[in-house]
Amino acid sequence: MREATSPDGRPRRRPAPRTVALTAAAVLLTLAAAPVGITRALGAHQPLTALAVGAVTVLWLIAVGLAALGAERSGALAEDLAAQHAETMTALVAAGSARQAETAAKGRAAAAEAERDTARAERARAEADAAAARTELARLRTELDAERAEAEVARERAAAEAEAVRERAEAERAELDGIAAGVLPEVVKKLRGGAAVDSALAAHRKHPQYALLRAVGEEIGRGERLRAAALAVCATAAGRVQALATSMHAELREMQHRHDEEVLGDLLRLDHSTAQAGRMADSIAVLTGARSGRRWAKPIAVESVLRGALGRIGAYQRVRLHNASTAAVAGYAAEGIMHALAELLDNATNFSAPPAEVHVYVEEVSAGLAVTVEDSGLGLGDGWLRRAERAVSGEPLDLTTLSAGTRLGLAVVGVLARKHGLQISFRPSARGGTGVVMLIPQQLVTHPAPESAPAPVVTQAPAAEPARPALTPALTPGRPAPARPARAPLPPAPHAPAAPAVTAAPAVTAAPAVPAQLPPAPARMTDSGLPQRRRGQTLATTAPAAAQAAKPVRGDAVSAAARFGAFRKAALPIKSDGPPTTDFTSDASSVTEKDSR
Amino acid sequence: MNAGPVLPGRDDDPDRLYTITKGRSRAPENAFDLVTLIVAERQPTPGMQSEHVRILRMCEAPTAVVEVAAELALPVSVVKILLGDLLESGAVTARHPRFAPNKARLPDLDTLKQVLHGLQRL
Repeated sequence: MREATSPDGRPRRRPAPRTVALTAAAVLLTLAAAPVGITRALGAHQPLTALAVGAVTVLWLIAVGLAALGAERSGALAEDLAAQHAETMTALVAAGSARQAETAAKGRAAAAEAERDTARAERARAEADAAAARTELARLRTELDAERAEAEVARERAAAEAEAVRERAEAERAELDGIAAGVLPEVVKKLRGGAAVDSALAAHRKHPQYALLRAVGEEIGRGERLRAAALAVCATAAGRVQALATSMHAELREMQHRHDEEVLGDLLRLDHSTAQAGRMADSIAVLTGARSGRRWAKPIAVESVLRGALGRIGAYQRVRLHNASTAAVAGYAAEGIMHALAELLDNATNFSAPPAEVHVYVEEVSAGLAVTVEDSGLGLGDGWLRRAERAVSGEPLDLTTLSAGTRLGLAVVGVLARKHGLQISFRPSARGGTGVVMLIPQQLVTHPAPESAPAPVVTQAPAAEPARPALTPALTPGRPAPARPARAPLPPAPHAPAAPAVTAAPAVTAAPAVPAQLPPAPARMTDSGLPQRRRGQTLATTAPAAAQAAKPVRGDAVSAAARFGAFRKAALPIKSDGPPTTDFTSDASSVTEKDSR
Repeated sequence: MNAGPVLPGRDDDPDRLYTITKGRSRAPENAFDLVTLIVAERQPTPGMQSEHVRILRMCEAPTAVVEVAAELALPVSVVKILLGDLLESGAVTARHPRFAPNKARLPDLDTLKQVLHGLQRL
């Protein structure tokens, strides 16, 4: 069987059943008839006929095949034709509808055209309107530009004016700043230095603010003059009181020597009051920058410094001195140190209740001399402690910090400490109060040659002990002379004829400790007309001639003793009421009493 | 001021007398007169008042009160107070140069007065 396939892949068309049936009938017929004919021909011994029958059969079959093929093809063609016809019909229908659509489109196009024309006209009108508006706008812009230009000019002018004003203001401010920063301080400094207003302002005569400067300068100058005048008045008054106090001290001292103990108590009280008044004057003098009260021409022993300070405060009897130092303080600084110490002691006694004692300790340290004042009073609060520290610190004194004239003490101490290089520190005392340490610098401290310089006296004293019982009132000739190495009978000086033994006495402690480096001062006389040895001087320097004269007679202890005994005998009945009646002991008993000790 | 040695009154020490006597103006007892002899019994100790030290040095040999006062350049009353301190502490002893037997031997006052009158009548 053969298949009919189309090259384009269309579904294979089945051969028509009529064709198939015919073809099958023809083939079957042939296949039935052919063998019969052949067999008969062969039976009849006619090969040729059999052959011919075969060949005719084959040809038949071929012809049948061809016919079937042709029928099949024509059927296919007819189908194709029908399909094409249908397609053509469809195309025709489509073409018809397309034409209708085209017609409709044409109509729509015409309408659109009309609309477009209308729109174009509209646009033309609108464009005209826009053109008009644009022209208007251009005009307005021009006007605006003009106005803006005017405003710009005005603004620039205003800016320029403002700039000028600001520059002027700047310049003036700079000038004022200059006055505050440079000119005024300089002028004030000159004025404080004592210059007149005109001379202080001479350099600034061309200054634009001269009037202001002058007004300020005159005010400051007046204030300065007032201040200086007030200070000078205070200083002068203080100086006068100081002088008065000093001369009163001298007179009192002289009176104290002249009067006996009946009057002495009163004199001592007066002396005490005078000393306190003198301290007040000293304080004012120190605060006003004047000199302190006295100048000592010689080093002052520490003990005397302490007692000098002690004597200037009210409650001196509550102060206990603990001093083992033999150092001395340079004379020029002694008064200031005494004064500062007095103020510290005054504070200490004022801040501790009356029965409590104030203790003063002196210690020689490598940096100098440390004087500690310890009270057991209320103690300083932190604020006071800071104030006190500040008062005695290195800052120069500011008189404005003095509060209404009270509490001058620490300010005075501060000034004196700065003047003499004293270091003063405050701390709470372990005893409950406040401890103040004043460190006197080494350069103000002198150490006199050790007191043990009259060593012979000290060492020989035990040796002389056995001889003592022999020291009867008659002073036996065997009295050891070394005990008084420098003992010298009175030279035949005209002013002291009466009491040789008494004048000889100064030589006892006329120690060789102090070399005769001090300039020989003129011998001063005591009230009784005796030569007075000044502290730190030997009798030899006091009365050199006397010492010279004494040399030859130095060994004459026998005659000296005799004269001394004579004096004592002569002085015997001077006081009738002196010794009590129980004192009628013989010298022998006195001696034995002493020996028994 | 008067630092120079010109002014009278020997006020050339900063010590005031009341600081030396610690405020006392009178000896506690009348143990001394001008000629009482003072004898030191001890060596001075460190920390002593300098006047006490000087008195003790001076009185290693017996010395009269007036002599001590002249040496110290202090009023006698003040020296008496200082000596009173030393006497109290036992650092010195005082001896009065009196002769008890002599006192007994002295003629009584009436006899002397009579002698005086007799002499004046001469």
